[in-house]
Amino acid sequence: MTKNYIVENLKKQIENFKDEAKAEKVGHVIEVFDGIAKISGLSDIKASEMVSFPNGETGVALNLEEDSVGVIILGDFSKIREGDEVKAIGQILSVPVSDLQIGRVLNALGEPIDGKGKIKTDKSNPIEKVAPGVITRQSVNQAVQTGIKAIDTLIPIGRGQRELIIGDRQTGKTAIAIDAILNQKGQDMICVYVSIGQKDSKLRKLQTRLEEGGAMDYTIIVSAGSSESSALSYIAPYTGVSIAEYFMDQGKDVLIIYDDLSKHAVAYREISLLLRRPPGREAFPGDVFYLHSRLLERACRRNKEYGGGSITALPIIETQSGDVSAYIPTNVISITDGQIFLETDLFYKGIRPAVNVGLSVSRVGSSAQIKAMKKVSGTLKLDLAQFRELEAFSQFGSDLDEGTKSQLERGKRAVEVLKQPQYAPVKTEDQVVVLYALTKGHMDDIAVDSIKSFEEGLTEYARRNAKTFYKEVIDTKMWSDEGEAELVKTITEFKQSIQK
Amino acid sequence: MATISINNLARAIYESSHDKDEAELDAVMKNAVNIISKKHLLSKSKEIINQLEKIADKNNGVIRAKISSKIKLEQKAITEIEDFIKKRYKAQNTVLEFQINEKLLGGIKIEIGDEIIDTTLKNKIKKLQNYLITK
Repeated sequence: MTKNYIVENLKKQIENFKDEAKAEKVGHVIEVFDGIAKISGLSDIKASEMVSFPNGETGVALNLEEDSVGVIILGDFSKIREGDEVKAIGQILSVPVSDLQIGRVLNALGEPIDGKGKIKTDKSNPIEKVAPGVITRQSVNQAVQTGIKAIDTLIPIGRGQRELIIGDRQTGKTAIAIDAILNQKGQDMICVYVSIGQKDSKLRKLQTRLEEGGAMDYTIIVSAGSSESSALSYIAPYTGVSIAEYFMDQGKDVLIIYDDLSKHAVAYREISLLLRRPPGREAFPGDVFYLHSRLLERACRRNKEYGGGSITALPIIETQSGDVSAYIPTNVISITDGQIFLETDLFYKGIRPAVNVGLSVSRVGSSAQIKAMKKVSGTLKLDLAQFRELEAFSQFGSDLDEGTKSQLERGKRAVEVLKQPQYAPVKTEDQVVVLYALTKGHMDDIAVDSIKSFEEGLTEYARRNAKTFYKEVIDTKMWSDEGEAELVKTITEFKQSIQK
Repeated sequence: MATISINNLARAIYESSHDKDEAELDAVMKNAVNIISKKHLLSKSKEIINQLEKIADKNNGVIRAKISSKIKLEQKAITEIEDFIKKRYKAQNTVLEFQINEKLLGGIKIEIGDEIIDTTLKNKIKKLQNYLITK
């Protein structure tokens, strides 16, 4: 490469450069503290418009007052001084979006932080967008397979649904989300995991886990770590959903996980208090409900005329010692279409995932369940409810009649079947087989301790010997009498073979 | 009672004084100072005067502009700038403040309120730099 070549190239590029004298609105920093700047001037600025500081940092205007503007600074604010000139960019905060983001770890501004190089894209989406309207929507009719038996059978989640995962610390909330991502392999789903205020070590562990499971081929991680400013925690979920919308606009189905929204609310509370907005209950600002409702409303299932595609949202909320009646949990419970309630007691009893089946609901998911699953899960729900009632009651007396005893035994087995280790998703067909065996009483004469091994053996055996049944469930979502007969025969054969 | 904002105070002083003759003005001013001291706002008098100036400028159609250049501007250029400002902001009068700044390298920079028209060489070079980086 000669010197001339470089000069010529440079000349060519400079030729394209055009400069127009433009009147620009500027302001000056009055004060700056804790990631917040107060700026005078900037009279024409819009709400949540970006501003740029002289050292290249950007900010977002949140408070528009009579003669000053309150700005949150996205990034390092230590080099911003009083009197610095601030320019309005004239654009609402937006993040880059691209297909190339799949498999990457991004920060809250959509820039990669995994050291795998820059992502070239010229497209960007504003982080705040009005949620899709009623006429563009369609009701939920297709399931998200999480691979977790307790959820897929009793609390089914549909594509486009918003299902809250709520529970105390250390009850396996993230584990459910990760299992759900891992099970999306080959299900034509893009996953976005938004980590808000989490430890970087936890994120790294999670990323490695997803890579090992081959899930990073369809997953994007958006992270605002606990060492970063609360402004970034505040915008991270909106960044995540903007990226998700980019894929939904292509007609794809997206699963987005917000881990967790209680930290998001706390970050927003910090910003609001620093901006001197009046505090309300638990010191949260008045618009904390809107904060989450506008985010979760963007989850939707769009109808064919508007391009199809869906965003399924799984927000996570961490409660303090099981208190679901605190401000943020009640807010998010009322926004979402149901919740998966995890309990510490169950977790330590060894019932993992520690889903409290009685308190968990899915308000729209049942219409997305396949017919075969509906058939087997209907009686399961009843079995479990009766079991819980009798369990408390049976502790007082020892003399129980036959009917009660058999119900108790059935319940014990049902609880056992719903237990599942982490990172071990179960296919829908296998779930149907196991639950069929359970609800039709084929497991009643198996000892509770050996239910787990029986289950494993049965699915393996049935896969080989009840091919018609499997084919029917996969293709038509329901079994015929013929398939059922085959399955019953298979189960009996299998039981005979283990008794030998 | 709610505290009075500086802006409101300045506006009140302006409203009560702008169409008064000299004798009345004296009395108005006395009252104004009395109120300011009563409300413990004497320490803010500088800001009140600033605000008062802004209000008066706005109502009298006066535009204050700060013009920076590398060299001292010729009279012809100054009248041209004045005309431009009057036309652009529909002002009757202008108060221009001139500044010499070697660092601008060339061209002029006009600052009016929170608006800046920057045609200096320095700014152009900066823009070119940004352009080449992002290209």
